[in-house]
Amino acid sequence: MGFFDSLLGGQKKLRGVAPDRLFAMTTAHVAMETELGMHSTGAGGLVFQPLQTSDFEQILRDANELLASTAEEQGSTLESADDEFGYRWVVLRDPDFEDLVVSLNTISTELQGGGYGDRLLCAVFGFEKDGRRSYFIYNFKRGSFYPFVPAAGEHQRDTEAELRLKAQLTNEMPFEAETTRWFPLWEIPL
Amino acid sequence: MASQKALFPRDAGLQVRMLLTMFLLGLLYVGFVVALLSQGVGVAVMLVIVGALSLSQLFLSDKLALAAMGAKEVKPEQAPGLHAMIERLCIQADLPKPKIAVADTQVPNAFALGRSQKKATVCATTGIMNALTPAELEGVMAHELAHVKNRDVLIMTVASFFASVAAMIMQFAFFFGGGHGNREGAAPVMVVLLASFLVYVISFFLMLALSRYREFAADRSAALVTGRPSAMSSALMKISGAMQRVPTQDLRDAERMNAFFIVPASVKGSVKSLFSTHPPMEKRIARLERMEEQLQRGGAAA
Repeated sequence: MGFFDSLLGGQKKLRGVAPDRLFAMTTAHVAMETELGMHSTGAGGLVFQPLQTSDFEQILRDANELLASTAEEQGSTLESADDEFGYRWVVLRDPDFEDLVVSLNTISTELQGGGYGDRLLCAVFGFEKDGRRSYFIYNFKRGSFYPFVPAAGEHQRDTEAELRLKAQLTNEMPFEAETTRWFPLWEIPL
Repeated sequence: MASQKALFPRDAGLQVRMLLTMFLLGLLYVGFVVALLSQGVGVAVMLVIVGALSLSQLFLSDKLALAAMGAKEVKPEQAPGLHAMIERLCIQADLPKPKIAVADTQVPNAFALGRSQKKATVCATTGIMNALTPAELEGVMAHELAHVKNRDVLIMTVASFFASVAAMIMQFAFFFGGGHGNREGAAPVMVVLLASFLVYVISFFLMLALSRYREFAADRSAALVTGRPSAMSSALMKISGAMQRVPTQDLRDAERMNAFFIVPASVKGSVKSLFSTHPPMEKRIARLERMEEQLQRGGAAA
């Protein structure tokens, strides 16, 4: 947002989607499996603000139909639910990680195609190692990833593990440079 | 890459009025400085003092205001819901996360403080958190974050700079003026005093107008960030309703005062609106309703 937007009290549009780097997750996944022993939980989620307008709902229906038709062939499932903050979670389960990323990208592309890319909050991928969950969150507006590792106890995160993941994977994917923007997501349904 | 849909067209009228107000303020201030310079008052000293005051105000006012409201910063563990809500709004608005404070009072209110996006604090009262639904509270918090994003604290401090200079000159004259028996010095002092007085009065109204326009703009930004103008209007209705329900004045006292009001209600309303920092609730709600219509119609052209 520029100086004049500030002076005039606000921009006309939200910041849109950054150049798409979602597919960096696919290559990073290979390194995570082979080098770090982390495995995908087979689930990925897309989080966005559902606008209550008819054309927005139409875009969602179209995207759902598109995915449902491919879901049968690939053996994937699709759920969607609203969280307590009014954001919609579209959760995909697919044994093939690459297909998972492609499917999530399909929905985000549909939203962007309809001009609603700025409503995307993030994409989330779940991983597991020795029974411990960790997540990678993709911020669409900034085109960057950050790790999120919940710790025991309510709303606790393991910052050490997160920083370690960043160090280990820093060459594999674009990381969010400002750790102040590593916003947690509690109760991830993945 | 597809471009983003503009949910709402620009409010050109609002921006023209905002620019005009800023222009008038600037013009007034330039005239003021010229008047000061021509009279050769210790302008440099005055500017330095007020500059220092403004700066310290900019750096300290947030802490003072928080203390005055009895607000305390809350950690994510203390208010997980509020933190999570604001974090999501920050992602949408592309802002760094501000400090979050809560004031323990039943008055439904919220405000934003801080000179920059990185030093910002947003505060909500327990009253507003209890009164509103999550979606309504989200609208209110988005409005406060819009003040942060639009740098309203900085803009209003800059706008009030010369008004402070004028106020200071008037105070100076009040304490030290008239004591000199110097007849030659008297005339310029009177001119400066008169100029200061005029600047102070006019800038007072211009700044109030500017503040009202910034409120409208923050409402717009909030609706843009949440995509739910109607939630914002219903929050405003609830807050204003609650405020009317909890008057502070004793009924008997208020009745006695009413007898002395000579200004008819309609004129009273317009005079009141000239004196307030916030636009009237009905106007804000009317604008938000218009935005909801634009949203449902599919917004402005993509």
